[in-house]
Amino acid sequence: MYLTKKTIVPKGSFKVGDTAVLLLVALVIYLIGITAKQWEGVYRPAVEIDLSASSLLLFSLFSMGRAMIAYILSLLFTLIFGYLAAKNRIAEKIIVPLLDIGQSIPVLGFLPGLVLGLVSIFPKTNIGLELACILMIFTGQVWNMAFSFISSMKSVPTQLYEMSDNVGLSKLRQFFRVELPCSATGLAWNSLMSVAGGWFFLTVCEAFTLGEKNFRLPGLGSYMSVAIDQDNHRAMAFGALAMVAVIVISDFVIWRPVIAWTSKFRLSESHEDFQTIPFMTLLFRESLIAQKVTAEFEGIIFQWSRFYRKIFRSKTFGQSTNPISRKMKSKGQGKFLEGLVSVLLYLSLAVVAWRLINFVSQLRWVEWREILVCASFTGTRVFTAVVLGTLWALPAGILIGLSPKLTRWFQPIIQIGASFPAPMVYPLALGLFAILHLHINVSSALLMLLGVQWYVLFNVLAGAVTISVDLMDSFRLTGVSKKTLWTKLYLPSVFPYLVTGWVTAAGGAWNASIVSEYVSFGGTPLIARGLGAMISESTSQGNYPKLVGCLLVMVATVILINRLFWSRVYHFAETRFRFER
Amino acid sequence: MNSKMNPATPLVELKNIHQSFTLSSGQKIKVLQDIHFTLEEGEILAILGPSGSGKSTCLRILSGLIEPTLGQCLRRGKPLVGPNPDVAMVFQTFALLPWLNVAQNVAVGLEPLSLTKLEAEERIKKAIDLVGLEGFEEAYPRELSGGMKQRVGIARALVMERPILCLDEPFSALDVLTAEVLRKEVLNLWRSGKTPVKSIVIVTHNILEAISMGSKILVMGTNPGQIKLAVKNDLPYPRDEISGRFKEFVDNIHSVITEDIIPDTPDWVPPAMIANAVEALPSVQLNEVFGLLDRIHESGGRADAFAIAQALKQESTQVLLMAKAAELLDFVDTPKNAIVLTNLGNQFVKADVNLKKQMIRAQLQQLRIADLLKTKLETSENHEISTEECLEFIRDWLPNEPAEKIFDTLIQWSRYGELFGYNATSKTVYLDQPDVGA
Repeated sequence: MYLTKKTIVPKGSFKVGDTAVLLLVALVIYLIGITAKQWEGVYRPAVEIDLSASSLLLFSLFSMGRAMIAYILSLLFTLIFGYLAAKNRIAEKIIVPLLDIGQSIPVLGFLPGLVLGLVSIFPKTNIGLELACILMIFTGQVWNMAFSFISSMKSVPTQLYEMSDNVGLSKLRQFFRVELPCSATGLAWNSLMSVAGGWFFLTVCEAFTLGEKNFRLPGLGSYMSVAIDQDNHRAMAFGALAMVAVIVISDFVIWRPVIAWTSKFRLSESHEDFQTIPFMTLLFRESLIAQKVTAEFEGIIFQWSRFYRKIFRSKTFGQSTNPISRKMKSKGQGKFLEGLVSVLLYLSLAVVAWRLINFVSQLRWVEWREILVCASFTGTRVFTAVVLGTLWALPAGILIGLSPKLTRWFQPIIQIGASFPAPMVYPLALGLFAILHLHINVSSALLMLLGVQWYVLFNVLAGAVTISVDLMDSFRLTGVSKKTLWTKLYLPSVFPYLVTGWVTAAGGAWNASIVSEYVSFGGTPLIARGLGAMISESTSQGNYPKLVGCLLVMVATVILINRLFWSRVYHFAETRFRFER
Repeated sequence: MNSKMNPATPLVELKNIHQSFTLSSGQKIKVLQDIHFTLEEGEILAILGPSGSGKSTCLRILSGLIEPTLGQCLRRGKPLVGPNPDVAMVFQTFALLPWLNVAQNVAVGLEPLSLTKLEAEERIKKAIDLVGLEGFEEAYPRELSGGMKQRVGIARALVMERPILCLDEPFSALDVLTAEVLRKEVLNLWRSGKTPVKSIVIVTHNILEAISMGSKILVMGTNPGQIKLAVKNDLPYPRDEISGRFKEFVDNIHSVITEDIIPDTPDWVPPAMIANAVEALPSVQLNEVFGLLDRIHESGGRADAFAIAQALKQESTQVLLMAKAAELLDFVDTPKNAIVLTNLGNQFVKADVNLKKQMIRAQLQQLRIADLLKTKLETSENHEISTEECLEFIRDWLPNEPAEKIFDTLIQWSRYGELFGYNATSKTVYLDQPDVGA
């Protein structure tokens, strides 16, 4: 960009901000260092976990390193496949259904394939196991981000595209100048949610049993799972504290400044900027180094694109070609290609289905019946958890959202609550349920609730904030009762948001069933009758046909419920209750 | 006009252009039919037309943003492929990037060129000076008024130094005064020769704007978009809007547009009277019609369509559509450009709400389309029909019209007249039973 002289930099002065930036860089380098050392280390499938508090710092850093790498992979995946899906109809046809399926497979579904495959590729070092763990965390993060990115890419205003075509921006420039900034806000918020989703299964991703073998990687999740297995209350408390610290620090150092920064990329003209500028943002703004780097970054990217074009020595290379005109020209060809891709897609689906059927054909009829019965049990729990969550989170969300003061107070707390991996507090909750003499078949629904209630609360709160002051005033002026105010104004206003909350919560609950129906309490496993428990069991027993059978049923159930039920509720909410924007 | 051979190759030439789009409902809509025109060097081409006449589509075809379904777009005599590198475009919604400041937004226009930093800064400074934005270089779009934003849009177009400046309804999002000032400034820029802009294409629905700027004016009509009239305008710049010749020009173009919307043949009978002729309801809200009737009543029962348009700050074609709607209901007559209240219309203006409803109901029942639908409803189960079926019927009766729009208008009118009701949840039309007591 030309004319970057706008920030007048005081020369030579080294600010506190620079110290902060350097510290951050040092931390990242350190993370890379210890991660690399761990990767190179001789293959150790199960590390001894030292439950002393002093070892927690290193374990936390290991886990942070994995989450960081997983996030970078998620971001790359999102940008590449999201771009393809948003730009190309044929790619969209392939990518979106795959994302849908991926989203509904619980993390254990990926586990055997990843671990066995990667460990056999790297039998001598820890790389295989580490990569498997990172990829499992990745599967907890990526779907959300990808969906958000596709939808924001598709809602870039047409006139901005026309402008970019008219000026003659290359595809690369168009991406960095128009498309990426337009998607930045959504991407940032969803990154926050996604990383939280990645933490959720940390205990499962770092410590698991596959067939006869135990696997344990050094990290916070393993620490927690060992603490739970040994019923060591002190260690559990320390682990949970460390987790909270990791979440709070990353929120403070990374997400707040990132979200504050991306808020400048919003397309709307409304001024609802951060009321207080995050502290880290202030530090960054002060920092000479940060300014220099960001100023050069753009230059480097576009220099590279110029260089790229020169290499190919073609004037038109990288020159923007109009998507509309291209589509028109190759209409017949495009139709044919689309048909071809559809046919190939169905063919490969058929092949995959055939292989899967062969694989699960070892299952007997009784086992199938048990899987279906278990699915209905888990379905009932998911439903219960969502209903219970709604019962308290709906009124609470509205009450908090109606008061700006409460909103300011509660939003960060809720964010941390939502990011905290619920399985880490399961032992605590189970202790409580034991006093109440609840059977695991019942209490596992409550464990699900611990994880998914936040989604409802978060969304309802977001909806309540948008209720218009004019409407509230007009209702108050007519002197209607509290009941009318709630039934006629508050509930209908937040309904579309509530539905989004429900969809996310229900999806999350299905996935969370693998940990909430199969929990270790006081050193003994508590197993509920349900699909999640069955998946966990068949993974640890290495019963892969059964695992695949369970996964097929779960994926099919989740997708069917989404398609047949949620999409309709969603449409109804959007057309009937959404305020015009 | 166009038939006269020009020795120089035109900058752009559109030849026999046809354009159609497919709606999400699957209905194919013809947007442009047989469009042919040229843009010569030194010309300001004004494309004038109501919404839906495809004038913006024409502009996008000549800038290479859209490829025509049929026909050819020639740039300097050669077929155009991809975006036209001679065109710099100014958008109705400004198309500024809110996260870049004024100078950075202008700089976007230079990005594909490999300029040195110095050259670039010089060109940006020049463009910003030309549109009078000095001092605002570091302001962000959200800090600027609409007029200032459009100045940024113009500067971004100027900085590219391309010979054709395309303006897509550039002033319609601005208030009247700002629009006037900017219009004059653009004209002055072009005449001063300080910019490499050789020709301008402006798309507008404002007749005065078209005549005060254009050296050639294309008047477009709707359904499908087509050129109704192409005239040269050699009034000298700067043009005096109150001069006799200017007014004459305006009148002539008015009558072309009126003729297109409300044909004024001497023995013209309202279509409702002709057997089997189903009326295409113009896309107009009833309260707009009421407003129009009140206005005519205030001015003594007779008013000029274009005067009303100006007084109401409405697009004149919209006012003509309102007049057409009022005429369908027998509330007005439209001799030439005038709108005259009928006796019925006079009664209507004075009526109270309930009487108004009854009158609308009575008038609706005179319409062939309402009559047909009523028959269908009476013969159907439960006296209701789904939206889809209803749209099918309308497509049957009026194959060349956008069925969805007519459906919306019909439902809106008959809800007021309590003739048909519509249930948005079940998406069905039903026969309304008005409470006689009310």
